[in-house]
Formats: sequence, C-alpha cells, structure tokens
Amino acid sequence: MRPKHIKKIIYHVFVSGLAVLLLYPVFWLIASSFKETGQIFATAGNLIPKPFTFENYAQGWQGMGNYGFDTYIMNTFVYVLLVLLGHLISCSLIAFGFARLKFTGRGIWFAIMIMTLMLPSEVLMIPQYIIFAQLDWLNSLKPLVVPAYFGHPFFIFLLVQFIRTIPRELDEAAIIDGCNTFGIFTKIILPLLVPALATTSIFTFYWTWSNLLGPVLYLNSPGNYTVSMALNMFLSNETVSNWGAMFAMSVVSLIPVFIIFFIFQRYVVEGISTSGLKG
Amino acid sequence: MKKSLLGLFGVIMMVLLAACGGEDGTENTSGDADNDTDGGTGGDITLRIAWWGDQSRNDYTLEVIEMFEEQNPHITIEAEYAGWDDYWQRLAPQAAANELPDIIQMDLSYISQYADNGQLADLEPFFGEQIDISDIAENTIEAGRINDGIYGFNLGSNVLSTHYNPEILAEIGIDEMPERYSWDEYQEMAELAANADYIFDTGMQSDVFFNLYLRQHDGRLYAEDGNGLGYEDDQLFVDFFTIIKEQVDSGATPSPDETAQYAGPEDSPVMKGEGVAVHQWSNQYVGIQEMNEDINFEIAPPPGEELEKGLFLKPSMYFSISENSDHKEAAAEFIDFWANDIEANKIILGERGVPVSSIVQEELSTEVDAAQAKVFEYVTWAEENSTPMGAPDPSGAGEIIELLGNLSEQIAYGEVTPEDAAAHFRTQAESILGN
Amino acid sequence: MQTHMKQNLWGYLFISPFIIGFLAFTIVPMIASLYFSFTSYNLFNPPEWIGFANYIEMFTSDPRYIQSLKVTFIYVLAGVPLQLVSALFVAMLLNTASRAVGLYRTVYYLPSLIGGSVAVAIMWRNIFGDEGIINLALQGLGLDPVRWFGNPTAALWMLIFLAIWQFGSSMLIFLAGLKSIPQSYYEAASVDGGSYFQKFFHITLPMLSPVILFNTVMQTIGTFMTFVPAYVISKGTGGPLDGTLLYSLYLFKQGFEFFHMGYASAMAWVILVVIAVITSLIFYSSKFWVHYESEGGR
Repeated sequence: MRPKHIKKIIYHVFVSGLAVLLLYPVFWLIASSFKETGQIFATAGNLIPKPFTFENYAQGWQGMGNYGFDTYIMNTFVYVLLVLLGHLISCSLIAFGFARLKFTGRGIWFAIMIMTLMLPSEVLMIPQYIIFAQLDWLNSLKPLVVPAYFGHPFFIFLLVQFIRTIPRELDEAAIIDGCNTFGIFTKIILPLLVPALATTSIFTFYWTWSNLLGPVLYLNSPGNYTVSMALNMFLSNETVSNWGAMFAMSVVSLIPVFIIFFIFQRYVVEGISTSGLKG
Repeated sequence: MKKSLLGLFGVIMMVLLAACGGEDGTENTSGDADNDTDGGTGGDITLRIAWWGDQSRNDYTLEVIEMFEEQNPHITIEAEYAGWDDYWQRLAPQAAANELPDIIQMDLSYISQYADNGQLADLEPFFGEQIDISDIAENTIEAGRINDGIYGFNLGSNVLSTHYNPEILAEIGIDEMPERYSWDEYQEMAELAANADYIFDTGMQSDVFFNLYLRQHDGRLYAEDGNGLGYEDDQLFVDFFTIIKEQVDSGATPSPDETAQYAGPEDSPVMKGEGVAVHQWSNQYVGIQEMNEDINFEIAPPPGEELEKGLFLKPSMYFSISENSDHKEAAAEFIDFWANDIEANKIILGERGVPVSSIVQEELSTEVDAAQAKVFEYVTWAEENSTPMGAPDPSGAGEIIELLGNLSEQIAYGEVTPEDAAAHFRTQAESILGN
Repeated sequence: MQTHMKQNLWGYLFISPFIIGFLAFTIVPMIASLYFSFTSYNLFNPPEWIGFANYIEMFTSDPRYIQSLKVTFIYVLAGVPLQLVSALFVAMLLNTASRAVGLYRTVYYLPSLIGGSVAVAIMWRNIFGDEGIINLALQGLGLDPVRWFGNPTAALWMLIFLAIWQFGSSMLIFLAGLKSIPQSYYEAASVDGGSYFQKFFHITLPMLSPVILFNTVMQTIGTFMTFVPAYVISKGTGGPLDGTLLYSLYLFKQGFEFFHMGYASAMAWVILVVIAVITSLIFYSSKFWVHYESEGGR
C-alpha cells in the first residue's frame, strides 16, 4: 500500500474514533429515547434498548393540553426564522460600519457594544420586562424578535473580525469603478462574508432554538410555547418525570438543528475558496 | 423611582418607535397576543390562571377549566402553565411589572414572599360568599393565613411519612413497622439494616425533618411571627444532626457524596430493592409506587415518640388571587368550583393533594386507585393525630433552607461539628430573618 | 473636512441599528441595575437606597460570594484555554478536502447542539454516575472510581469537561477562519520548502490571529457568565459544598431565589468590571500578536 493511503486510513480511523468517543452521550440520549421509562435508569450502562419501544415518541408527540408537539416545533421555527433574518441584516450592516468606516466615536461605541455582553442578563431582566410590559408587548413574540433587528454584539464582533481580514485593495478597486460606500458593502464585502454569515446563521438558529429564558418570560399562552419550554414540562418536581418522552422529543428537536448545521457548514468552509479570491 | 424611570423611558420609547417604525417589518408576528385583558363584550370576563405542572396535570386541569367555563359561560379562562423552574422564573418579573395572572398556584415556600409584599389578595371576604368553606376544616383554611389574612386557598394536604418496603424490613428482622417509635428505636432499626448490608433510608431533607424534630420538642423551625428561629435550645440542633451523622457513619444511610451521585429518585437504592425506607411527604408515595411496581410499599408515620406534636397537615399548594386582578370575585368562584365540585374532583383525583372538602374526600374514596387510596387513608388518620401547622414559611425561608442544607452537608462531610454548625446557623438565620 | 463629515455620516448610518437598539432596550435597564446595586430591592417593593452596603457585604461578610468567585476563576482559567486548544486542534483536523469531512464536522458539532438542553443534565448524571461509563473506564484502567457529584473538586472538573466537550462553536469559527486563509500562501511556503510546523507558526497562526482574538474574548466572557450547566447539573444548588457555585448561579440565587435583587445587581456590576479589565488586557495585548490583513499587518 502506498504511504499516502496509509496516511489517509490513519486519519479516518483517528477522526472517527475520536468522534465515537465524543458522541457517546449522544448515542446514550438516542438509545434512552427508545427505552421504557422504567428501564432508562435501570439499564443506563446499556446502549441497546430492550425492549425497543416507540411509545416515548408517540407520547411525547401528543404534547400536552390542547397542543401537540408539532405546534411547539412550528412556533419555534417562526421565532427562529424571524430572529435569523434580523441578525443577518442588522449585524452585517453594523459590522461593516465598525470594521471599514472611520468615524468619530467608533472606538467608544465598539467598547460599549462589547461591554453590553459583560453584564449578566439576569439583572437586566426585570427592567427590560417592565419596558416590554409598558409597550404592551407581553405575551407576544415582539420582545423576543424585535431586538434582533438591532444587532447582536457577538455576531457583530464576529463579522467585524472577518471583514478585517479582507484586503482593503478590493475596496479601493471598487471605488475606482464608481461604487459608493453602500456599494462596497453590497458588492465587495457581503459576498466575501458568506462563511461568517453562515456561521452567524448556524449559531443564531441553534441559540434561538434552544433559548429558554426569553420564551419563558414573554410567551404566556401555551399555544405559543417553544420546544425548550415544552421539554421542561415532561419533568416533574413532585412526582415521576416522564424521562422517556423528554428524551424522545429532545431527539426530535435536535433534527432540525442538525439539518441546518449540515447544510450551512458547507458555506462556512466553501465561501471564499470557491469565489476565487486571491489575497 | 420606578414610576418616574418608566415615564421617562416611555417617552424615549415612543419617539424611537415612531422613528424606526419602518425599519422592522416584523411586527405582524403570527402568534401574536390576543388582547389578554377583558374580552370586552357585555359582562364577559377573562381570567388568567397560572400553575406549574407536568403533562398529566396540565391535561386534567384544562379539562376542569372547560367544565367550569361550560357552567359559567360569561367567564373565559386562559391557562398559563409551565414547569416548576420556569414558572417561578416568570412569576417574579410579572409581579414586578404588576402583570400577575388572576389566579396563581402558590407554594408554601413562596407564599409569604408574595403576600408580605402586597401581591396577593386576602381571600377572607370571599368565604361564605363565592367560596363555600362549610365542609372544610378550619385548620386547613388557616394554613393559608399570613398575619391578618388568608392569602392562599389550601388545595390539599400532605403529611410527613415513611414509605417502606415490608419485604426488606422483614429480612432485617423486623416483622412490622411500629406505629410509634422513638428516635432511639429508629436508630436501632437502622442498625439492623446496616448489619444486614442494607441501607435503612436515604436520609432526611434537613429543613423538613429538623422542623419535625423541633415540633416534637415544643419548638419549630421559624418563629410564629417569622422574625427569627422558633427554638431556643441549640442542643436540639446538635442532637438532631448528630443522629443524622451517626446514621451515615454506621452505613444505615448513604453518605452525601453517594446520594449526590443518584441521577434521580428512580436511582435510589430503595427503589432498587437495596434499602428499606424513604422519608418524604405522603403524596410522593404514588410516585414511588408507580416507579417500581414490583415493590409494594407501605406507609407509616415518621420517627419520634411525640407523634402528634410533630405531625401537621402541610398544604400541598395553594390557589391565590393576585391583588392586581380586576375580577377577584370570578377568580374566587373558580376556586370554589375547584374545591367543592364533585364532578371536577373526579377528574382531579387528588393529584394536587388530598381534597380539603370532607364531602369531596368521601365521594372520591371509591374513585381513586389503590396507591392514592392508601395516601387518602393515611392523611385521614393524620387529621386526627396531628397539630396545626402554624404560620407558613416566612419571607427569607428559601435562604434559610439553603443555609441549613449547606450546613448539614458540611456536618456529614465532617467539615464542621454539629455544635459549631448550630451556633453558626443561629447567627446567620437570625440575621436573614430579622432584617 | 467635507469628506470627514461624510465619513461620519456613513459610519453612523451603518451602526445606527445598534445605537437605536442600545438606547431602546439596553441602556435604561443597565442604568436601572446600576441604581439597584445601591439599594435593597426585593422585586416587589420600591428599592431603598443603602449606599455601598451591598458591595461592602460582598467582600467582607459573605463567604459564599468569595467561594463563587474562586470557583468561577478556576472554571474560566482551566476551561477557556482547554476548550480553545481542542477546538483549534479539531478544526485543523477537519480542514481537509476529504469527502467525509462534512459529516465529520457535523458530528463533532453535535455535542454543542445538545449542550443547552434539559436532557444533558440527566444524561451527564448517568455518564458520571457510580455505574456510569466514566467510572467503568477508570476501573478498567485500574483506577479508583470518582464520586463526581459528591466531591466538590471533581464536580467542578466535571463541569469543565462538559465545557470542553462543547467545543463546537469555537471550532466552527476557527474553521471559517482557516478557510479564509488564501491557499496561495501555503503554496508559496511549500515552494520555499517550509515544514508543516513552520507553516503552522508562520502562516496559520498569524493569519488566524483575528479569529483567535475573537474566540478568546468571547469564550472568556461567555465562560464567566456560564449558568445553565451549573444550574442543571447541581440541580440548582451549586453543590456539593458550593463546589460548583459559579458566579452567575449565585447571582441568580440572590436575585430570584432569595429576592435580593439589589445585591444581585451589585454582583453583576462587580463581575462586569472584572471581565472588562480582563478583556481590555486581552485587547491591549492583541496589538502585539494579532495580524489584520486589511490593515497592513496591524
């Protein structure tokens, strides 16, 4: 065998071996979702469900009260997509401003933005809640979605760092071609920003999907509940928790996130290399 | 301060919203709030009710609400339920923003906090009017008293109890659980278990059972007025926690680092047939019986010779009406329906604790399953063999419970002597409660 | 001057969403929390001014506060570097043109996807339990099993493992960064006969430095704020013996379990200052090691 092949085999053995190790908890979760609730703890060390049951999925899918689990998934989708749209538009605009434009006060505003990340959100919660109450936005998606259209420091900073790796010569060429600042943003920067925007999308999708505190505070009507809230309702602090259904629906709720990741990860890594940019 | 801050802010907000209204086209969110205040037409009333619970509680509660709405067509009830943690997480800001639901499911550990600060309505004016309390024992109603009013309507009673596995009890050489046994006798039984390589129990939740022990010795954990501890002699603290520590040392109770390893109650040795008993609230019996149907658990009173002094009926939970509710009468009607309607209670089946109305209790005794019937029986027995609970946990109780839990953990790990812990507990607790 | 004005106009135009959002939703709550930190405020009644009492109590008569600071520092100091190094390692590993690599990436990201769910707590308890796989493995190696949930030090390390295990987000950002390094640089280095390590230190690291800066800053801030894992794994207690009482967890307890929102706010502002100092140090140091292509190496 040629050394190149051996190298390849070693690579795959190592990478997949490490993956199996890291994924053990995930396998555990999936296996448990097919076990009878009583068996989950009794046979915790065993990855093969015996007997194998779909009961957890059937039970969990029914949801609770008048709403099936499909309602929660749909609600979460609407919530996530609205936030995603907001982040993509606002964060790229703001990041371009911080990374490419020189204006008075840039440093201060940037520092303020990073600072907002450092104050534990728990202490902002009550005043924010009161503001949204005054606006009559409670029990709606507005408090959860509207702020997304004003940017998110994490993603702004991320995009800023990526824009700063894009050579300025490109901008100058565009100016010669007669582009104004907005033109540079849309014609030069945005296309090159695809990997970072894909990253933003993946994170936004997952973070919003699993966000618990926001929906708990602002969505009162069970018909508007999200997946993460529903999962908590399978647990009980007084009697027996329905672990089986909780695991089963956790697996179900992972699927969309998994798919989104699988689709978007390609753009994370293919963006620049296919656009033929030479540095 | 809050008001002026808000006023200022309101202005800023209005300006900003007007200024950037065009920018975000997301206002028409699909699942938008239907105006959750009053329905508007005629005398129609919309009530919001909030509770914590799991799948089955949510399902049957909604059924009861439907029944109520059918009988009271002018009232619509909006349900807002969530898991325990999420529930309290949401309730606090709602209180801060004066947005509490009309009917709130309350827990003993939070009720003083909410009542002391004027968030809850006194229910006494509704007794005999909207709420019929003629079939409910006075003690039961009084369990919702905080200072000058009744701020929570007791939904059911729980009693401290010991749930044991008779087969293993026999194996360690005890034929029958005595109905009354002193703490010494408890330790002797525990030693038999340890000698037979079984554990006797999984320990005792420190605040709950220390309170039981104190009650048996003419004290209680919190002073009646809630401004301090309810016992004078620190020797009681030392004695109780020495018993607990001796249990761990002898192997009759698993050490705290071992119990910390359990993934959940399902994981405890008693559930796996490796131990005799769990000390807990009576309603938890149904749960453990459901968890392992191969074991036929029995219910007995907890340790302590002064049984009656120690035992009390603990409200499993309350329904409270918020002070900012515009429809307190309608809310009270719902509470009455919940407590007294036989058909409704045939759906509830004592899931929120043994029903408070004696008539309902009687009607239900034939409806419930075997495990629930055992709980009913025990609670009925305890009604005759207990003393009043006294004032509910004061504001600050949460902090005390955590402090005591930490100290008992430290005693068990040998990091602090019971004597030092007793003194420390007193200073800390008095400063928390006294402020 | 004309162009200067114009530049300012464009700049503020682009960042205006942030400024508006900041003024609308953030600044008032921030000021309010700063005000609360000087008050005794239980959420229900109007706050009462008590000056610096909260701040003084924190450092003079609250051993649990000191404990939570200590635990958090260990968590950050151990967790951030370990997580970043593993993330970079895996990112390099997956930065190849193999056909299976898309699947690998997804698979390696999976742990991060289940990280925030309630399922993780119970799963982790089973894995680190007395009969869980970790203790079985330890015994297989001839070592003593560890009481992960019963021993304060072990419990904290378990939390750190949990953080490292979820390296997916940093990995993804590293990957995106690696991909944006022009291939031509490596080709040129190969022509010059550069070894793998030379390429790594002379091309990869400098070119990746803006992303490394980003990940370091964000992970540091994020790790200081960690709440969910500590909460779910210790069942909300921060135990055993306050061994996993991370800062945010204690802050949450003070604010929402003990209803000392004034104290919690003071805690929040102290940690803000701590994080701000650390972050500025990192930013300051970045002048010496971060390379921006767009700014001619600065």
